[in-house]
Amino acid sequence: MNLKPYIAYARKSFLMRSAYRFDHIMQILSTCLQIFIYWEIYRSLYGSSIEVDGISFGMVTTNFVLSLGFSAGFYVNDFYLPQKIWDGSLVTELLRPISFRGRMLAENIGNGVFSMLFRFLPAFVIGVVLVGICPPESAAALGLFLVSAALGYGVLWTISFAVQMTAFWLVNIWSIVTIKNVCINILSGSMIPIWFMPEWLRNLIDFTPFSSIYFTPVQIYLGQLSGREIAGKCLLQVVWIVCMYGIGSVLWKRGQRKLVIHGG
Amino acid sequence: MVQLEYVRKFILKDVNLHIPEGMAVGLIGESGAGKTTLLKLVSGLLVPDAGRVSTMGHDPGHYRKRYGRAFSAYFTGIPLLEPQDTVRSGYEGIASVYQMAPSVFVREYSMLTERLGFGEYQNQPVEALSLGQRARVELGAALLYRPRLLVLDEPTVGLDQEAKQALRDLLKERVEQGMTLLISSHDMNEVSHLCGRIALLHKGNLEFYGDQEQLHWQYHSFHTMQMRILGPLPDLGDIPFQQYQIEGDRLTLVYSSNYITSAEILQQIMGQTSITELVIRKADLGQVILRHSKAFLE
Repeated sequence: MNLKPYIAYARKSFLMRSAYRFDHIMQILSTCLQIFIYWEIYRSLYGSSIEVDGISFGMVTTNFVLSLGFSAGFYVNDFYLPQKIWDGSLVTELLRPISFRGRMLAENIGNGVFSMLFRFLPAFVIGVVLVGICPPESAAALGLFLVSAALGYGVLWTISFAVQMTAFWLVNIWSIVTIKNVCINILSGSMIPIWFMPEWLRNLIDFTPFSSIYFTPVQIYLGQLSGREIAGKCLLQVVWIVCMYGIGSVLWKRGQRKLVIHGG
Repeated sequence: MVQLEYVRKFILKDVNLHIPEGMAVGLIGESGAGKTTLLKLVSGLLVPDAGRVSTMGHDPGHYRKRYGRAFSAYFTGIPLLEPQDTVRSGYEGIASVYQMAPSVFVREYSMLTERLGFGEYQNQPVEALSLGQRARVELGAALLYRPRLLVLDEPTVGLDQEAKQALRDLLKERVEQGMTLLISSHDMNEVSHLCGRIALLHKGNLEFYGDQEQLHWQYHSFHTMQMRILGPLPDLGDIPFQQYQIEGDRLTLVYSSNYITSAEILQQIMGQTSITELVIRKADLGQVILRHSKAFLE
Protein backbone atom coordinates (compact mmCIF):
# COMPACT_ATOMS: atom_id res chain seq x y z
CA MET A 1 0.00 0.00 0.00
CA ASN A 2 1.40 3.35 -1.01
CA LEU A 3 1.12 5.75 1.95
CA LYS A 4 2.41 8.82 0.09
CA PRO A 5 -1.02 10.20 -0.94
CA TYR A 6 -2.35 9.76 2.59
CA ILE A 7 0.66 11.51 4.11
CA ALA A 8 0.17 14.30 1.55
CA TYR A 9 -3.50 14.64 2.57
CA ALA A 10 -2.60 14.67 6.29
CA ARG A 11 0.07 17.32 5.65
CA LYS A 12 -2.28 19.41 3.56
CA SER A 13 -5.04 19.38 6.17
CA PHE A 14 -2.48 20.31 8.85
CA LEU A 15 -1.34 23.31 6.78
CA MET A 16 -4.90 24.34 5.89
CA ARG A 17 -5.82 24.57 9.55
CA SER A 18 -2.95 26.94 10.22
CA ALA A 19 -4.64 29.50 7.99
CA TYR A 20 -7.36 30.22 10.56
CA ARG A 21 -5.32 31.75 13.42
CA PHE A 22 -8.08 33.87 14.91
CA ASP A 23 -10.34 30.82 15.21
CA HIS A 24 -7.61 28.94 17.12
CA ILE A 25 -7.06 31.76 19.55
CA MET A 26 -10.81 31.94 20.19
CA GLN A 27 -10.99 28.16 20.65
CA ILE A 28 -8.14 28.24 23.18
CA LEU A 29 -9.85 31.11 24.98
CA SER A 30 -13.17 29.23 24.97
CA THR A 31 -11.56 26.10 26.45
CA CYS A 32 -9.81 28.15 29.14
CA LEU A 33 -13.10 29.86 30.01
CA GLN A 34 -14.88 26.51 30.31
CA ILE A 35 -12.11 25.19 32.54
CA PHE A 36 -12.32 28.27 34.73
CA ILE A 37 -16.15 28.14 34.98
CA TYR A 38 -16.16 24.42 35.84
CA TRP A 39 -13.39 25.02 38.37
CA GLU A 40 -15.43 27.76 40.06
CA ILE A 41 -18.60 25.58 40.09
CA TYR A 42 -16.83 22.58 41.62
CA ARG A 43 -14.90 24.79 44.05
CA SER A 44 -18.25 26.10 45.33
CA LEU A 45 -19.74 22.60 45.46
CA TYR A 46 -16.76 21.21 47.35
CA GLY A 47 -16.69 24.16 49.76
CA SER A 48 -14.44 23.17 52.63
CA SER A 49 -14.73 19.41 51.92
CA ILE A 50 -11.51 17.66 50.96
CA GLU A 51 -13.23 14.73 49.27
CA VAL A 52 -16.71 13.87 47.96
CA ASP A 53 -17.41 10.13 47.53
CA GLY A 54 -13.65 9.53 47.75
CA ILE A 55 -12.95 11.97 44.91
CA SER A 56 -10.76 14.94 45.73
CA PHE A 57 -11.20 18.39 44.22
CA GLY A 58 -7.79 17.98 42.57
CA MET A 59 -8.98 14.82 40.79
CA VAL A 60 -12.10 16.62 39.53
CA THR A 61 -10.00 19.53 38.30
CA THR A 62 -7.59 17.14 36.57
CA ASN A 63 -10.57 15.40 34.92
CA PHE A 64 -11.99 18.48 33.32
CA VAL A 65 -8.66 20.09 32.38
CA LEU A 66 -7.69 16.89 30.55
CA SER A 67 -11.15 16.15 29.14
CA LEU A 68 -11.85 19.68 27.95
CA GLY A 69 -8.29 19.95 26.62
CA PHE A 70 -8.79 16.74 24.67
CA SER A 71 -12.19 17.82 23.41
CA ALA A 72 -10.45 20.87 21.94
CA GLY A 73 -7.60 18.77 20.56
CA PHE A 74 -9.44 15.67 19.32
CA TYR A 75 -10.56 17.00 15.97
CA VAL A 76 -13.26 15.24 13.99
CA ASN A 77 -15.11 16.69 11.03
CA ASP A 78 -18.59 15.17 11.28
CA PHE A 79 -19.58 16.67 7.93
CA TYR A 80 -16.65 15.43 5.84
CA LEU A 81 -18.64 12.75 3.99
CA PRO A 82 -22.01 14.61 3.97
CA GLN A 83 -20.29 17.60 2.35
CA LYS A 84 -18.93 15.37 -0.40
CA ILE A 85 -22.39 13.89 -0.94
CA TRP A 86 -23.92 17.39 -1.09
CA ASP A 87 -21.45 18.84 -3.59
CA GLY A 88 -21.20 15.62 -5.62
CA SER A 89 -17.44 15.26 -5.18
CA LEU A 90 -17.92 11.80 -3.64
CA VAL A 91 -18.13 10.61 -7.25
CA THR A 92 -14.60 11.91 -7.81
CA GLU A 93 -13.43 10.14 -4.66
CA LEU A 94 -14.95 6.85 -5.79
CA LEU A 95 -12.98 7.00 -9.03
CA ARG A 96 -9.62 7.66 -7.40
CA PRO A 97 -7.21 4.75 -6.92
CA ILE A 98 -6.95 5.29 -3.16
CA SER A 99 -9.13 4.38 -0.19
CA PHE A 100 -11.64 7.09 0.65
CA ARG A 101 -11.80 5.87 4.24
CA GLY A 102 -8.01 6.08 4.39
CA ARG A 103 -8.18 9.62 3.10
CA MET A 104 -10.82 10.53 5.70
CA LEU A 105 -8.58 9.20 8.45
CA ALA A 106 -5.44 10.85 7.04
CA GLU A 107 -7.09 14.27 6.88
CA ASN A 108 -8.44 13.85 10.39
CA ILE A 109 -5.02 12.88 11.68
CA GLY A 110 -3.51 15.99 10.04
CA ASN A 111 -6.19 18.13 11.65
CA GLY A 112 -5.88 16.23 14.94
CA VAL A 113 -2.11 16.73 15.18
CA PHE A 114 -2.61 20.43 14.52
CA SER A 115 -5.33 20.64 17.16
CA MET A 116 -3.25 18.78 19.73
CA LEU A 117 -0.27 21.06 19.18
CA PHE A 118 -2.04 24.37 18.83
CA ARG A 119 -5.27 23.89 20.76
CA PHE A 120 -4.81 21.18 23.38
CA LEU A 121 -1.30 22.12 24.49
CA PRO A 122 -1.90 25.88 24.98
CA ALA A 123 -5.27 25.23 26.68
CA PHE A 124 -3.67 22.54 28.86
CA VAL A 125 -0.76 24.77 29.92
CA ILE A 126 -3.07 27.70 30.66
CA GLY A 127 -5.43 25.35 32.56
CA VAL A 128 -2.57 23.95 34.63
CA VAL A 129 -1.31 27.46 35.47
CA LEU A 130 -4.81 28.77 36.13
CA VAL A 131 -6.34 26.01 38.28
CA GLY A 132 -3.60 23.39 38.71
CA ILE A 133 -3.97 19.63 38.23
CA CYS A 134 -2.71 16.50 39.94
CA PRO A 135 0.59 15.12 38.62
CA PRO A 136 0.43 11.69 36.92
CA GLU A 137 0.51 8.75 39.30
CA SER A 138 3.79 7.51 37.81
CA ALA A 139 5.89 7.69 34.64
CA ALA A 140 4.29 4.41 33.54
CA ALA A 141 0.82 5.87 34.18
CA LEU A 142 1.77 8.84 32.02
CA GLY A 143 2.91 6.55 29.19
CA LEU A 144 -0.20 4.39 29.38
CA PHE A 145 -2.32 7.53 29.61
CA LEU A 146 -0.88 8.70 26.27
CA VAL A 147 -1.58 5.31 24.68
CA SER A 148 -5.13 5.31 26.04
CA ALA A 149 -5.64 8.92 24.89
CA ALA A 150 -4.65 7.90 21.34
CA LEU A 151 -7.14 5.02 21.54
CA GLY A 152 -9.73 7.47 22.90
CA TYR A 153 -9.27 9.56 19.78
CA GLY A 154 -9.73 6.38 17.75
CA VAL A 155 -13.07 5.74 19.50
CA LEU A 156 -14.20 9.33 18.92
CA TRP A 157 -13.22 9.22 15.23
CA THR A 158 -14.86 5.86 14.54
CA ILE A 159 -18.13 7.02 16.19
CA SER A 160 -18.07 10.04 13.89
CA PHE A 161 -17.18 7.78 10.94
CA ALA A 162 -20.20 5.55 11.57
CA VAL A 163 -22.54 8.52 12.10
CA GLN A 164 -21.37 10.20 8.88
CA MET A 165 -22.23 7.12 6.86
CA THR A 166 -25.93 7.62 7.62
CA ALA A 167 -25.74 10.63 5.25
CA PHE A 168 -26.13 8.20 2.33
CA TRP A 169 -29.75 7.75 3.39
CA LEU A 170 -30.56 10.81 5.49
CA VAL A 171 -28.58 13.42 3.48
CA ASN A 172 -28.87 15.99 6.29
CA ILE A 173 -27.39 14.50 9.45
CA TRP A 174 -27.14 17.68 11.49
CA SER A 175 -29.62 16.46 14.14
CA ILE A 176 -27.91 13.07 14.51
CA VAL A 177 -24.54 14.76 14.88
CA THR A 178 -26.03 17.04 17.56
CA ILE A 179 -27.43 14.05 19.48
CA LYS A 180 -24.06 12.29 19.18
CA ASN A 181 -22.23 15.36 20.49
CA VAL A 182 -24.65 15.75 23.42
CA CYS A 183 -24.11 12.07 24.32
CA ILE A 184 -20.33 12.54 24.12
CA ASN A 185 -20.38 15.71 26.21
CA ILE A 186 -22.53 14.20 28.94
CA LEU A 187 -21.63 10.51 28.94
CA SER A 188 -17.88 10.86 28.38
CA GLY A 189 -17.44 12.57 31.72
CA SER A 190 -16.03 15.79 30.35
CA MET A 191 -18.85 17.95 31.77
CA ILE A 192 -19.87 15.89 34.78
CA PRO A 193 -17.27 13.40 36.03
CA ILE A 194 -18.62 9.85 35.74
CA TRP A 195 -17.66 9.30 39.43
CA PHE A 196 -20.60 11.51 40.48
CA MET A 197 -23.22 9.87 38.33
CA PRO A 198 -25.77 7.48 39.87
CA GLU A 199 -24.73 3.85 39.88
CA TRP A 200 -27.39 2.76 37.35
CA LEU A 201 -26.15 5.43 34.91
CA ARG A 202 -22.53 4.44 35.47
CA ASN A 203 -23.47 0.84 34.69
CA LEU A 204 -25.30 2.01 31.57
CA ILE A 205 -22.35 4.12 30.41
CA ASP A 206 -20.13 1.05 30.70
CA PHE A 207 -22.10 -0.41 27.78
CA THR A 208 -21.45 2.62 25.60
CA PRO A 209 -18.22 3.74 23.89
CA PHE A 210 -18.41 7.25 25.38
CA SER A 211 -16.47 6.70 28.60
CA SER A 212 -13.62 5.21 26.53
CA ILE A 213 -12.99 8.58 24.90
CA TYR A 214 -11.83 10.81 27.76
CA PHE A 215 -12.60 9.12 31.05
CA THR A 216 -10.46 5.99 30.62
CA PRO A 217 -7.26 8.00 29.93
CA VAL A 218 -8.04 10.28 32.90
CA GLN A 219 -8.50 7.28 35.22
CA ILE A 220 -5.15 5.86 34.05
CA TYR A 221 -3.44 9.25 34.53
CA LEU A 222 -4.79 9.49 38.09
CA GLY A 223 -3.70 5.91 38.88
CA GLN A 224 -7.24 4.81 39.65
CA LEU A 225 -6.92 1.55 37.75
CA SER A 226 -4.83 -1.52 38.49
CA GLY A 227 -2.61 -3.02 35.78
CA ARG A 228 -5.27 -5.61 34.98
CA GLU A 229 -8.00 -2.95 34.80
CA ILE A 230 -5.86 -0.79 32.52
CA ALA A 231 -5.39 -3.73 30.14
CA GLY A 232 -9.14 -4.41 30.26
CA LYS A 233 -10.10 -0.79 29.62
CA CYS A 234 -7.59 -0.37 26.77
CA LEU A 235 -8.84 -3.61 25.26
CA LEU A 236 -12.37 -2.25 25.53
CA GLN A 237 -11.24 0.88 23.66
CA VAL A 238 -9.83 -1.31 20.89
CA VAL A 239 -13.08 -3.31 20.82
CA TRP A 240 -15.09 -0.10 20.43
CA ILE A 241 -12.81 1.11 17.64
CA VAL A 242 -13.22 -2.20 15.81
CA CYS A 243 -17.02 -2.24 16.38
CA MET A 244 -17.66 1.34 15.31
CA TYR A 245 -15.32 1.05 12.33
CA GLY A 246 -17.02 -2.22 11.39
CA ILE A 247 -20.48 -0.62 11.56
CA GLY A 248 -19.23 2.39 9.58
CA SER A 249 -17.63 0.13 6.95
CA VAL A 250 -20.81 -1.91 6.48
CA LEU A 251 -22.77 1.33 6.05
CA TRP A 252 -20.09 2.64 3.66
CA LYS A 253 -20.40 -0.47 1.47
CA ARG A 254 -24.19 -0.29 1.52
CA GLY A 255 -24.13 3.43 0.85
CA GLN A 256 -21.89 2.92 -2.18
CA ARG A 257 -24.19 0.16 -3.37
CA LYS A 258 -27.14 2.52 -3.03
CA LEU A 259 -25.27 5.10 -5.10
CA VAL A 260 -24.41 2.75 -7.96
CA ILE A 261 -27.90 1.21 -8.06
CA HIS A 262 -30.09 4.26 -7.56
CA GLY A 263 -27.68 6.98 -8.67
CA GLY A 264 -26.98 10.00 -6.55
CA MET B 1 -11.72 -0.71 -24.55
CA VAL B 2 -15.42 -0.26 -23.67
CA GLN B 3 -18.20 -2.73 -24.30
CA LEU B 4 -21.89 -2.59 -23.42
CA GLU B 5 -24.10 -5.61 -24.08
CA TYR B 6 -27.87 -5.34 -23.78
CA VAL B 7 -27.49 -2.80 -21.00
CA ARG B 8 -30.56 -1.52 -19.20
CA LYS B 9 -30.43 1.21 -16.62
CA PHE B 10 -32.98 3.92 -15.88
CA ILE B 11 -34.00 5.18 -19.33
CA LEU B 12 -31.43 3.10 -21.26
CA LYS B 13 -32.91 0.10 -23.05
CA ASP B 14 -30.82 -2.80 -24.33
CA VAL B 15 -27.87 -0.67 -25.37
CA ASN B 16 -25.11 -2.43 -27.29
CA LEU B 17 -21.92 -0.53 -27.93
CA HIS B 18 -18.30 -1.37 -28.58
CA ILE B 19 -15.59 1.27 -28.48
CA PRO B 20 -12.18 0.11 -29.70
CA GLU B 21 -8.99 1.45 -28.16
CA GLY B 22 -7.87 4.82 -29.53
CA MET B 23 -11.34 5.76 -30.84
CA ALA B 24 -13.07 9.07 -30.08
CA VAL B 25 -16.80 8.59 -29.70
CA GLY B 26 -19.27 11.45 -29.42
CA LEU B 27 -22.42 10.70 -27.49
CA ILE B 28 -25.25 12.88 -28.71
CA GLY B 29 -28.98 13.12 -28.19
CA GLU B 30 -31.56 15.34 -26.60
CA SER B 31 -31.59 16.17 -22.87
CA GLY B 32 -32.75 13.16 -20.85
CA ALA B 33 -31.81 10.69 -23.59
CA GLY B 34 -29.55 8.77 -21.18
CA LYS B 35 -26.11 10.15 -22.08
CA THR B 36 -24.91 10.78 -18.52
CA THR B 37 -26.33 7.43 -17.38
CA LEU B 38 -24.30 5.69 -20.08
CA LEU B 39 -21.13 7.56 -19.09
CA LYS B 40 -21.66 6.71 -15.43
CA LEU B 41 -22.12 3.04 -16.34
CA VAL B 42 -18.83 3.07 -18.23
CA SER B 43 -17.16 4.78 -15.24
CA GLY B 44 -18.55 2.24 -12.76
CA LEU B 45 -20.57 4.89 -10.94
CA LEU B 46 -23.74 3.03 -11.81
CA VAL B 47 -24.32 -0.70 -12.25
CA PRO B 48 -26.69 -1.96 -14.94
CA ASP B 49 -30.05 -3.49 -14.04
CA ALA B 50 -29.52 -5.94 -16.88
CA GLY B 51 -26.77 -6.64 -19.38
CA ARG B 52 -23.04 -6.26 -19.04
CA VAL B 53 -20.61 -3.36 -19.06
CA SER B 54 -16.92 -3.91 -19.55
CA THR B 55 -14.37 -1.13 -19.30
CA MET B 56 -10.76 -1.98 -20.06
CA GLY B 57 -11.66 -5.64 -19.78
CA HIS B 58 -13.28 -5.44 -16.36
CA ASP B 59 -16.61 -4.82 -14.70
CA PRO B 60 -16.16 -1.13 -13.83
CA GLY B 61 -18.52 -1.40 -10.85
CA HIS B 62 -16.02 -3.63 -9.08
CA TYR B 63 -12.71 -2.60 -10.56
CA ARG B 64 -12.95 1.14 -11.05
CA LYS B 65 -10.24 1.91 -8.49
CA ARG B 66 -7.83 -0.54 -10.10
CA TYR B 67 -7.77 1.37 -13.36
CA GLY B 68 -5.63 3.91 -11.58
CA ARG B 69 -3.88 6.19 -14.02
CA ALA B 70 -5.50 4.54 -17.02
CA PHE B 71 -8.91 6.13 -16.46
CA SER B 72 -10.20 9.63 -15.97
CA ALA B 73 -13.67 11.15 -15.97
CA TYR B 74 -15.14 14.62 -15.84
CA PHE B 75 -18.81 15.23 -15.16
CA THR B 76 -20.05 18.80 -15.37
CA GLY B 77 -20.90 20.12 -11.93
CA ILE B 78 -18.89 17.48 -10.08
CA PRO B 79 -15.64 19.00 -8.80
CA LEU B 80 -12.32 17.24 -9.29
CA LEU B 81 -10.47 19.81 -7.19
CA GLU B 82 -11.12 20.80 -3.59
CA PRO B 83 -12.72 24.27 -3.52
CA GLN B 84 -10.38 25.62 -0.84
CA ASP B 85 -7.20 24.43 -2.63
CA THR B 86 -5.32 26.70 -4.94
CA VAL B 87 -5.23 25.46 -8.51
CA ARG B 88 -1.58 24.50 -8.17
CA SER B 89 -1.97 22.66 -4.85
CA GLY B 90 -5.06 20.86 -6.18
CA TYR B 91 -3.05 19.59 -9.13
CA GLU B 92 -0.22 18.57 -6.79
CA GLY B 93 -2.76 16.57 -4.78
CA ILE B 94 -3.89 14.75 -7.92
CA ALA B 95 -0.27 14.12 -8.92
CA SER B 96 0.33 12.55 -5.53
CA VAL B 97 -2.79 10.33 -5.74
CA TYR B 98 -1.83 9.14 -9.23
CA GLN B 99 1.83 8.78 -8.28
CA MET B 100 3.23 11.05 -10.95
CA ALA B 101 6.98 11.56 -10.90
CA PRO B 102 7.77 15.20 -9.97
CA SER B 103 9.48 15.91 -13.31
CA VAL B 104 6.50 14.48 -15.25
CA PHE B 105 4.11 16.54 -13.14
CA VAL B 106 6.03 19.76 -13.78
CA ARG B 107 6.07 19.07 -17.52
CA GLU B 108 2.37 18.19 -17.77
CA TYR B 109 1.27 20.98 -15.46
CA SER B 110 3.24 23.62 -17.38
CA MET B 111 1.83 22.33 -20.65
CA LEU B 112 -1.77 22.45 -19.34
CA THR B 113 -1.43 25.93 -17.80
CA GLU B 114 -0.13 27.18 -21.13
CA ARG B 115 -2.59 25.37 -23.40
CA LEU B 116 -5.70 25.96 -21.28
CA GLY B 117 -4.54 29.39 -20.17
CA PHE B 118 -4.97 29.24 -16.42
CA GLY B 119 -1.42 30.17 -15.40
CA GLU B 120 -2.65 33.63 -14.43
CA TYR B 121 -4.83 32.37 -11.62
CA GLN B 122 -2.98 29.20 -10.64
CA ASN B 123 -2.31 30.51 -7.13
CA GLN B 124 -5.92 31.42 -6.41
CA PRO B 125 -8.28 29.12 -4.49
CA VAL B 126 -10.54 27.16 -6.83
CA GLU B 127 -13.64 28.50 -5.04
CA ALA B 128 -12.62 32.06 -5.98
CA LEU B 129 -12.64 31.34 -9.73
CA SER B 130 -15.43 32.15 -12.15
CA LEU B 131 -17.45 29.33 -13.74
CA GLY B 132 -15.42 29.47 -16.94
CA GLN B 133 -12.06 29.60 -15.15
CA ARG B 134 -13.12 26.72 -12.95
CA ALA B 135 -14.17 24.65 -15.96
CA ARG B 136 -10.72 25.17 -17.51
CA VAL B 137 -8.84 24.02 -14.42
CA GLU B 138 -11.17 21.09 -13.76
CA LEU B 139 -10.80 19.83 -17.33
CA GLY B 140 -7.04 20.21 -17.10
CA ALA B 141 -7.12 18.15 -13.90
CA ALA B 142 -8.89 15.33 -15.77
CA LEU B 143 -6.11 15.33 -18.37
CA LEU B 144 -3.15 15.77 -16.02
CA TYR B 145 -2.01 12.17 -15.69
CA ARG B 146 -2.61 11.21 -19.35
CA PRO B 147 -5.30 8.56 -18.96
CA ARG B 148 -5.79 5.86 -21.61
CA LEU B 149 -9.56 6.26 -21.40
CA LEU B 150 -11.16 9.64 -20.85
CA VAL B 151 -14.87 10.11 -20.21
CA LEU B 152 -16.19 13.67 -20.54
CA ASP B 153 -19.76 14.70 -19.80
CA GLU B 154 -20.68 18.07 -21.31
CA PRO B 155 -17.12 19.44 -20.99
CA THR B 156 -17.73 22.71 -22.82
CA VAL B 157 -20.35 24.08 -20.40
CA GLY B 158 -19.07 27.44 -19.18
CA LEU B 159 -16.09 27.57 -21.56
CA ASP B 160 -15.50 30.55 -23.83
CA GLN B 161 -14.64 30.07 -27.52
CA GLU B 162 -10.90 30.32 -26.91
CA ALA B 163 -10.99 27.66 -24.19
CA LYS B 164 -13.25 25.43 -26.31
CA GLN B 165 -10.75 25.57 -29.14
CA ALA B 166 -7.82 24.90 -26.78
CA LEU B 167 -9.64 21.90 -25.29
CA ARG B 168 -10.57 20.60 -28.73
CA ASP B 169 -6.95 20.80 -29.91
CA LEU B 170 -5.68 19.15 -26.76
CA LEU B 171 -8.19 16.30 -26.98
CA LYS B 172 -7.50 15.80 -30.66
CA GLU B 173 -3.79 15.50 -29.93
CA ARG B 174 -4.37 13.00 -27.16
CA VAL B 175 -6.64 10.89 -29.36
CA GLU B 176 -3.97 10.90 -32.08
CA GLN B 177 -1.54 9.67 -29.44
CA GLY B 178 -3.82 6.70 -28.69
CA MET B 179 -6.19 7.88 -25.97
CA THR B 180 -9.75 6.56 -26.13
CA LEU B 181 -12.34 9.30 -25.70
CA LEU B 182 -16.02 9.07 -24.87
CA ILE B 183 -17.58 12.49 -24.84
CA SER B 184 -21.16 13.66 -24.49
CA SER B 185 -21.94 17.13 -25.66
CA HIS B 186 -24.62 19.38 -27.03
CA ASP B 187 -21.89 21.25 -28.89
CA MET B 188 -22.17 19.50 -32.25
CA ASN B 189 -19.30 21.49 -33.66
CA GLU B 190 -17.05 19.99 -31.05
CA VAL B 191 -18.32 16.46 -31.53
CA SER B 192 -18.05 16.64 -35.32
CA HIS B 193 -14.47 17.92 -35.12
CA LEU B 194 -13.26 15.46 -32.53
CA CYS B 195 -15.06 12.20 -32.95
CA GLY B 196 -14.55 9.46 -35.48
CA ARG B 197 -17.75 7.81 -34.36
CA ILE B 198 -21.10 9.09 -33.20
CA ALA B 199 -23.49 7.34 -30.83
CA LEU B 200 -26.97 8.81 -31.06
CA LEU B 201 -29.27 8.19 -28.11
CA HIS B 202 -32.98 8.87 -28.24
CA LYS B 203 -35.17 8.22 -25.20
CA GLY B 204 -32.76 5.57 -23.95
CA ASN B 205 -32.37 3.75 -27.26
CA LEU B 206 -29.12 3.74 -29.18
CA GLU B 207 -30.56 4.87 -32.49
CA PHE B 208 -27.31 5.08 -34.33
CA TYR B 209 -23.67 4.14 -33.87
CA GLY B 210 -21.19 4.71 -36.65
CA ASP B 211 -19.22 7.39 -38.44
CA GLN B 212 -20.55 10.81 -39.39
CA GLU B 213 -20.98 9.98 -43.09
CA GLN B 214 -23.25 7.09 -42.21
CA LEU B 215 -25.20 9.31 -39.82
CA HIS B 216 -25.79 11.90 -42.55
CA TRP B 217 -26.79 9.24 -45.00
CA GLN B 218 -29.18 7.60 -42.57
CA TYR B 219 -30.77 10.62 -40.93
CA HIS B 220 -30.18 13.72 -42.92
CA SER B 221 -28.96 13.33 -46.46
CA PHE B 222 -30.18 16.79 -47.51
CA HIS B 223 -27.68 19.10 -49.13
CA THR B 224 -28.07 22.73 -50.01
CA MET B 225 -26.69 24.04 -53.33
CA GLN B 226 -26.49 27.78 -54.01
CA MET B 227 -25.42 29.21 -57.36
CA ARG B 228 -25.42 32.44 -59.38
CA ILE B 229 -26.85 32.03 -62.87
CA LEU B 230 -25.49 34.02 -65.78
CA GLY B 231 -27.83 32.83 -68.58
CA PRO B 232 -31.51 31.83 -68.63
CA LEU B 233 -33.12 30.02 -65.72
CA PRO B 234 -32.72 26.25 -66.16
CA ASP B 235 -35.62 23.80 -66.28
CA LEU B 236 -35.54 21.90 -62.96
CA GLY B 237 -38.30 19.45 -63.86
CA ASP B 238 -36.09 16.32 -63.83
CA ILE B 239 -34.29 17.11 -60.57
CA PRO B 240 -35.81 15.39 -57.49
CA PHE B 241 -35.29 18.42 -55.21
CA GLN B 242 -36.91 18.94 -51.82
CA GLN B 243 -37.36 22.66 -52.35
CA TYR B 244 -35.98 25.52 -54.44
CA GLN B 245 -35.79 29.29 -54.25
CA ILE B 246 -35.01 31.90 -56.89
CA GLU B 247 -33.98 35.41 -55.87
CA GLY B 248 -32.89 37.49 -58.89
CA ASP B 249 -30.02 35.57 -60.45
CA ARG B 250 -29.50 33.39 -57.39
CA LEU B 251 -30.82 29.83 -57.23
CA THR B 252 -30.95 27.71 -54.09
CA LEU B 253 -31.76 24.01 -54.21
CA VAL B 254 -32.30 21.59 -51.32
CA TYR B 255 -32.02 17.93 -52.34
CA SER B 256 -31.37 14.50 -50.92
CA SER B 257 -28.05 12.91 -51.79
CA ASN B 258 -29.81 9.54 -51.51
CA TYR B 259 -31.67 10.32 -54.77
CA ILE B 260 -29.32 12.48 -56.77
CA THR B 261 -25.69 13.51 -56.49
CA SER B 262 -24.41 17.09 -56.63
CA ALA B 263 -22.49 16.24 -59.81
CA GLU B 264 -25.68 15.02 -61.55
CA ILE B 265 -27.53 18.24 -60.67
CA LEU B 266 -24.65 20.39 -61.91
CA GLN B 267 -24.45 18.42 -65.13
CA GLN B 268 -28.17 19.03 -65.80
CA ILE B 269 -28.03 22.74 -64.98
CA MET B 270 -24.79 23.49 -66.81
CA GLY B 271 -26.23 21.81 -69.88
CA GLN B 272 -28.86 24.56 -69.99
CA THR B 273 -27.15 27.65 -68.63
CA SER B 274 -23.93 29.10 -67.18
CA ILE B 275 -23.16 29.63 -63.51
CA THR B 276 -20.53 31.80 -61.81
CA GLU B 277 -20.67 31.06 -58.10
CA LEU B 278 -21.36 27.73 -56.44
CA VAL B 279 -21.66 26.70 -52.79
CA ILE B 280 -22.70 23.20 -51.68
CA ARG B 281 -23.42 22.61 -48.00
CA LYS B 282 -24.02 19.39 -46.12
CA ALA B 283 -26.23 19.54 -43.03
CA ASP B 284 -24.14 19.87 -39.88
CA LEU B 285 -24.52 17.48 -36.97
CA GLY B 286 -26.85 19.86 -35.15
CA GLN B 287 -29.29 19.84 -38.05
CA VAL B 288 -29.12 16.05 -38.19
CA ILE B 289 -30.07 15.83 -34.52
CA LEU B 290 -32.80 18.43 -34.90
CA ARG B 291 -34.31 16.62 -37.83
CA HIS B 292 -33.95 13.28 -36.08
CA SER B 293 -35.74 14.57 -32.96
CA LYS B 294 -38.51 16.16 -35.06
CA ALA B 295 -38.99 12.92 -36.95
CA PHE B 296 -39.51 11.07 -33.68
CA LEU B 297 -41.84 13.73 -32.32
CA GLU B 298 -43.93 13.56 -35.47
